[in-house]
Amino acid sequence: MTIKTPTQEWITRRERGSLNLLTHSVQIALWMGRPVSRILLYPICLYFLISSPAATRSSYQYLARVLGRPPRVRDVFRHFLTFASCVLDRVFLLNERCDEYDIHVQGEDIVREIAETGGGCILVGAHFGSFEVTRAIGRQQPDVQISLLMYEENAKKIRAALAAINPRLETEVIGLGPLDSLITVAERLFAGHFIGVLADRSVNGKNLAQYNFLGSMAAFPTGPFKIAMLLHAPVVLMIGVYRGGRRYDVIFERIAKPAPSERHDGALWMDRTMRQYVDRLEHYCRDAPFNWFNFFNFWD
Amino acid sequence: MVTRLASPDRATHENGAVPPCLLFYMKDVMIDSQTQTESEAILAVLIVQTLNLDVRPGDIDPMIPLYGEGLGLDSIDMLEVALVVSQQFGVKLRADDKNNRAIFSSLRSLNEHIQAHRGP
Repeated sequence: MTIKTPTQEWITRRERGSLNLLTHSVQIALWMGRPVSRILLYPICLYFLISSPAATRSSYQYLARVLGRPPRVRDVFRHFLTFASCVLDRVFLLNERCDEYDIHVQGEDIVREIAETGGGCILVGAHFGSFEVTRAIGRQQPDVQISLLMYEENAKKIRAALAAINPRLETEVIGLGPLDSLITVAERLFAGHFIGVLADRSVNGKNLAQYNFLGSMAAFPTGPFKIAMLLHAPVVLMIGVYRGGRRYDVIFERIAKPAPSERHDGALWMDRTMRQYVDRLEHYCRDAPFNWFNFFNFWD
Repeated sequence: MVTRLASPDRATHENGAVPPCLLFYMKDVMIDSQTQTESEAILAVLIVQTLNLDVRPGDIDPMIPLYGEGLGLDSIDMLEVALVVSQQFGVKLRADDKNNRAIFSSLRSLNEHIQAHRGP
């Protein structure tokens, strides 16, 4: 029997409250449609620009690196607006309104090739652009099954949020909490699932490796790549770039072939794979700078 | 340690103290339970080698938890252990096994599971 402390109850209540708010906002957005909802994003972003100094500061720092010049306030505003647009579009994409968008897919052949071998792969993403648009594409390919791996706390929130946004949607989210969660990943992978994981952020600050990213060293979690190494899975980069308007580019790129079976080569394989991931992430940051959605000091 | 090995309501007096006559008995139990059996020692070496742990295999208390507190393994370590166990002993650990928590709870329980399920 668990005894609920007042704090726990308060957190539960607050979460239920924000979920209610989410459900209502989603319904309002769907009812208003995308063009009208988008107008509301401007005052919301302006509000964030004024009220969130920490996010604003980290946006400045990032934009100075990627643009190679001192950013202006309008750049930061555009950064926030891009983020808000992707969040809003998520609602429409999750409610299967893909036809309203102009989505271009690159590297579809990589996905098809791997799906044909039946072996699955690790799809590494980032807090960059729209993760949702890549999943919308995934759902259109019935022979590709995608499971998402994420921290248990986030997994709970995402499951609840997804249920609020579209109750009919079935999502395969594996929470990284129970001791056998990665055995689940192994079984799904061997059954041919694609395992999606965001590989640019660590929550617990453990198991990090430093790589040069946009001019100086930044820490990236080794976990996703170690899983790929242990399970001898190919690694594919998956990124949904928002290009403005209704245009999204979904990009699949092969990052690494399966790790060799000799154990001592594992570390080398991981290093090479992580370097390739970080290099390609940097490439897409330069290509579409306002899609980077890590609003904290990434290089700290 | 004492309270975990011997059930407290049996081993303690009403006033909470351990009766002297039980101390000898409990000492025996403790030494026994902390000593690795032969097959446990083999498994301990395998785990330490696989994960490159900074402990001597013989020093692992067969009763302490493997995951989290205790030996301090994380879920990636557990995956590595599961993979090497399946490779070496042909015992597949399955995600849908409701007993996983119990199986992975200590070196002893993992070894018992392996010995019960391995081929001849």
